[in-house]
Amino acid sequence: MKLALRELVRKPGRFVTATVILTLIAVLLMFLGGLLDGLLRLSTGALRAQTADAIVYSDASQSSFLRSRIEPDDRAAIESADGVDEVGGLGVVLLGARVPGNGPRDLANVAVWGYELPKSGIPAPPAPGEAYADELLQADGVELGDELLVGPARTPITVTGWVSDTAYNGSGGLWTDLGTWREVLSQNRPDAVLADGVVQALVVSGPGDPADVVAAVDAANDGTYALTIDDAINEIPGVEEQSATFNQILGVTVVIALVVIALFFALLTVERTALYGVLKAIGARSRTIFGGLVVQATAVTLVASAVAAVLVVVLDLLIPPGSIPLFVSPSRIVLSVVLLLIAAVIGSAFSLRRVLRVDPASALGN
Amino acid sequence: MSTPALQMSDVRKIYSMGDNEVVALDHATLTVGTDEIVALVGPSGSGKTTLCSIAGGILSATEGSVVVGGEAISDYGDKELTTFRQNKVGFVFQSVNLVPFLNARENLLVVDELGRRQGKPARDRADRLLDELGLADRAKNLPSQLSGGQKQRVAIGRSLMNEPELVLFDEPTSSLDTELGQQVMELIRSEMKSRGTAAIVVTHDDRITEYCDRTVRITDGVLGDD
Amino acid sequence: MFLALKEMSRAKVRFGLLTVALGMLVFLILFQQSLQNGLLTSFVGAIRNQTAPVLVYSVDGQRVIQGSIITPDLEQLVTTADGLGDVGRIGQGTFSVTNADGELTDTTVLGYEQPLLGAPAELAEGRYPRAAGEAVGASNDADAGFGLGDTITIEPSGYEITIVGLADDVQLNAGATLFVAYDDYVAAVQSANPDAGTPLPNVLAAAPADGVTPEQLVANINGLSDDLDALTRSDAADETPGVAQVQQSFRVIFLLYGLVIPCVTGLFFLIITFQKSGALTLLRAIGAPARRLVTSLLFQAVLIVIAGYAIGLALYTPLSQRRLGGIQLRFETTAVIVWAIILFVLGIGSSLIAARRVLRIDPIEATTGGANR
Repeated sequence: MKLALRELVRKPGRFVTATVILTLIAVLLMFLGGLLDGLLRLSTGALRAQTADAIVYSDASQSSFLRSRIEPDDRAAIESADGVDEVGGLGVVLLGARVPGNGPRDLANVAVWGYELPKSGIPAPPAPGEAYADELLQADGVELGDELLVGPARTPITVTGWVSDTAYNGSGGLWTDLGTWREVLSQNRPDAVLADGVVQALVVSGPGDPADVVAAVDAANDGTYALTIDDAINEIPGVEEQSATFNQILGVTVVIALVVIALFFALLTVERTALYGVLKAIGARSRTIFGGLVVQATAVTLVASAVAAVLVVVLDLLIPPGSIPLFVSPSRIVLSVVLLLIAAVIGSAFSLRRVLRVDPASALGN
Repeated sequence: MSTPALQMSDVRKIYSMGDNEVVALDHATLTVGTDEIVALVGPSGSGKTTLCSIAGGILSATEGSVVVGGEAISDYGDKELTTFRQNKVGFVFQSVNLVPFLNARENLLVVDELGRRQGKPARDRADRLLDELGLADRAKNLPSQLSGGQKQRVAIGRSLMNEPELVLFDEPTSSLDTELGQQVMELIRSEMKSRGTAAIVVTHDDRITEYCDRTVRITDGVLGDD
Repeated sequence: MFLALKEMSRAKVRFGLLTVALGMLVFLILFQQSLQNGLLTSFVGAIRNQTAPVLVYSVDGQRVIQGSIITPDLEQLVTTADGLGDVGRIGQGTFSVTNADGELTDTTVLGYEQPLLGAPAELAEGRYPRAAGEAVGASNDADAGFGLGDTITIEPSGYEITIVGLADDVQLNAGATLFVAYDDYVAAVQSANPDAGTPLPNVLAAAPADGVTPEQLVANINGLSDDLDALTRSDAADETPGVAQVQQSFRVIFLLYGLVIPCVTGLFFLIITFQKSGALTLLRAIGAPARRLVTSLLFQAVLIVIAGYAIGLALYTPLSQRRLGGIQLRFETTAVIVWAIILFVLGIGSSLIAARRVLRIDPIEATTGGANR
């Protein structure tokens, strides 16, 4: 162990190239992972902010807010169901908003939400004509107290507070009461107008598990279906596909790291065969020698990971907001490092056979 | 006289190569006294290395008994042999000898790291050995900064770190010129004699045998005294 | 070449690992190239491969067709633009539909007023719509319940559309896409949401008059009002939100993979050369010309790159034919050739460092024992 670490310190040159390669691979892993997290965050924030147990859409809506319509009758039936405590309306419309001080063609993408029940991090609805804005909109120059002119009809909405991580479809949220939202919708999207009392979706809380609430709602009413919040997040178009595709790419990248580590330590072991022979002759066990290899692989990986983490954080700072949706989080970095460490241990195991095969007798008679 | 350092009786070593069997050592019997230095001389392929490997616990004999410092190792498995090598014997090899990225002192301390750690006593011992071998001012040098003779002296120091019963020297002077070779042999002799440690010196150089108490010749795996 | 091949056959694990590493890198690069192109095509293919040379959005739309709305006064204004040849409406909506396989799924419906202003530019099969309730579909969706002759039902109203033609690469937003006459689009919107009035067009499709370029027309229209956002066909596709992000993200990814490849091959051959410097010195001493040893090294590098590329290609080819969600992947011949050249240059180039080392070997070392470490 000490021997292995001392070699790293005394002969760092031997490990530099391998560390550089692993650093690149670690940057790739963290960058790709951060990209996935960023993309998911931008499309799932609004749903993740829901504290309710379930979301109710109308049949044939394909879990799209814009196509879902919940009539007052449906709502009444669900409200009176057993196993349902609280029901709130929910709706959204995606529009461009004119920000004071920005150029006439420089609009901010906003998702105007109408809601009734407070969410995690979002207090009860503000007064009509006011909204809590997602912090994402700060990148567009939105400030507290600004009056945003929303949509082609220039419906005014005043920002009276901030909320974070509530993005939907890549747009920052403007959280308003149902009435303000309905007005924005009817003024700006004549094709999507909803009559009074009609909402796009319902959020429902109950005393039981989310699955129980879903069952209670589905039993109480026809023409609608309920999903747990987690299921609803997976139903957002692209979420599952993105996760699956990115995770496959990440998986192959981890395997590449494994092969690179295997290759490098196989080369190193070949180079040290004679030395291992001497060490074994004077009493070193294969376990000790192989343990040293694993320690070196782990150390190289840790150094590469640390450098990569710094690089990715710097990259994140350099990328102008709104260009690449990179989201660097400690958990993503830790996950990448853990995956790389596993790859390092498995990769160095490729040299185990060669270490075992070194014959202490080879030290004699040379 | 107390227990001999090495007692080999009727030792045979047979390698199978495909269908053929090669007898590398045939009924070898050899006793080395507690502080005796024995030169083992023979042409290449005669079985010198095999005998040394068996005496040092690197190889197991096919037949016969091997007792080193009172410990019978003939029936030992790989693990027991490894522990035995850590504690009872010392080795000085011909070419690759030192760990290239460790300095002289650390090369001695490797021995302590491989076995049961002693810590400070081992460090003191390493310093004392380096001092005796005239390497005190070279303790921090890497092998690449040492001359051939100095490297061989470091290797001798390492072989004595575990206070062995028996030290095996494999052509210790082959990569040195005559004068240096003689100096190293004088050093070996004085170190062994002052400690009362036994040694086998493998060589094909008759000039070396002068520094030994007795010479054993080996031809085609068969031992014969001078 | 005898030496090169013998060495490789004696060190199968090492050369094998290198080849596998290269193969997987190639596979990932090519796969992501397909992914990028497929992603972009499925997101904006409908814009790229339609007939109108100029598309006019409202600034509010932020260059998203569905987000854009052309009010009657803006529409009126556009007709007054200098250099305008012809103009027509385009409407777009996303609907829940039952496809020919009986599955409930999402579909984008694009309605155009005139075939030369917004219809798919080319048909792969069938014909353009002639009557109400007829549509051109995307050939990529043909196997997913949107084939020629299939009837699609808009839910929950039951409005039916029959596919009479298919065009390549005309998806929008990575989902099934249907091109219909504008009146059909209006009928579909009203059937899905009875509360909706008459929908306004989302964008206007425009063609320049004779002698006017699309760019001039774009400038003229944009000069009319700050609320109009005219774009040429290719700009409209490239400026769609997300397209630039996808391209930038993939650029970073390709750059990183591109860096890993020369590092891995370069390091490998350098270490291998270092390890066998004894043998190389010996070969030089017995009279092997340095050039021959370098050739042997480069031969190995070439062989490894070719084998790695073959493995990568073998993994990539079956995957490149598949659909990934709504995205149709495609075998990207250009990317395969370009990356082969890049890889060859990088792989061989990086092994030249090792070759330099071979050239520096002095045969005299063999006699002084320098090689006999």
